[in-house]
Amino acid sequence: MNPDESKLEPGQETLLDLRLDELKRGLAGHGAPAAMESALVARFRETRPAASRPRFWWMPPIALAATIAVTSWMIRGPVPRSQDLLALAPPTSTLEGDPGPFLALQPLDRIAAEPGKRVVATEFPRALLADWGLPVSPDRAGEPVRAEMLYSADGEPLAVRILN
Amino acid sequence: MTMPPKDLQPELALLARMKQGDEDAFVELYRRHKDAVYRLALLYSGSTAHAADATQETFVFFMTRSNQYDPLRGTLAAWLCGVARNIARKLVGGKEDATDPESLADDTALHDSHVDRDTPLDRVLRAEAAEQVRLALTSLAPHYRDILILCELSELSYAEAAQVAGINIGTVRSRLSRARVELAQRLAPYETGAKEAV
Repeated sequence: MNPDESKLEPGQETLLDLRLDELKRGLAGHGAPAAMESALVARFRETRPAASRPRFWWMPPIALAATIAVTSWMIRGPVPRSQDLLALAPPTSTLEGDPGPFLALQPLDRIAAEPGKRVVATEFPRALLADWGLPVSPDRAGEPVRAEMLYSADGEPLAVRILN
Repeated sequence: MTMPPKDLQPELALLARMKQGDEDAFVELYRRHKDAVYRLALLYSGSTAHAADATQETFVFFMTRSNQYDPLRGTLAAWLCGVARNIARKLVGGKEDATDPESLADDTALHDSHVDRDTPLDRVLRAEAAEQVRLALTSLAPHYRDILILCELSELSYAEAAQVAGINIGTVRSRLSRARVELAQRLAPYETGAKEAV
């Protein structure tokens, strides 16, 4: 090669490329030591938790728990009333399992204060439900409804629960 | 030396997961780039021990300063090469000023002071021919060796090499051209010896 020239001739270019390829092949047998990965992963574990955890990381879980608690309370709120009502009513042997809550037909205070209450299984026309403010389909208004009535000692209906 | 594919999306997804603390994502990225980083560090440092140290430091830097990587400015591979290059050069006390554009504006004069004599000259590669080229590369001025390592051996694009070396693409081209001439001159005695042996 002429030392004054600043460019290689085509043959020299090819020869140099071959020599560089030899170096690449020689380097191909070399890589990062195998033990390095575990050391770096350990380092990653040390640094990441503190770095990746936001300052107020605890707020979303607390907010979620509070939301669940409030929602649960709102949904389940009326149930204790029905359960109270059930507790007031004497047990009946005609029922299998939990037929559901009673619907109060009188103020709860009065039902709670009423002595000698009793539960009576009965059937009545579905249209009667409308008198208590319950929805009734006109098509089925004539069908009988099985129900349990909670009566006062003097026979006044205090609460009702529909069985079907 | 094979570099990862240029399609950035999968790597950016891994990077996002890694930043959220996903260990598997970090391991995946490490496995993709570790060997390229190690080989580049080996070329700069000329020592397997230094190369291992530089590789480790590069990935520690990556896990702690990954926010410094800007996908708009190039691939993750190129960024890691840049980090590894700087670390490896520091480890061996490289002559950083050799790539100062002011002092090398002309690029025609190769002053002896630019030649790196601090890089260890221990044998690194088993293959004789490969080791000859590596040693010839080591004897080049750092600013020429730099571009040869980045463009020819790490297969970075001219734009990526320019980004890593902090010079413009035109300078990358001219330095690469001159670096190839210099390297060919360094290798000429070996070529003559080989011919005589035949």
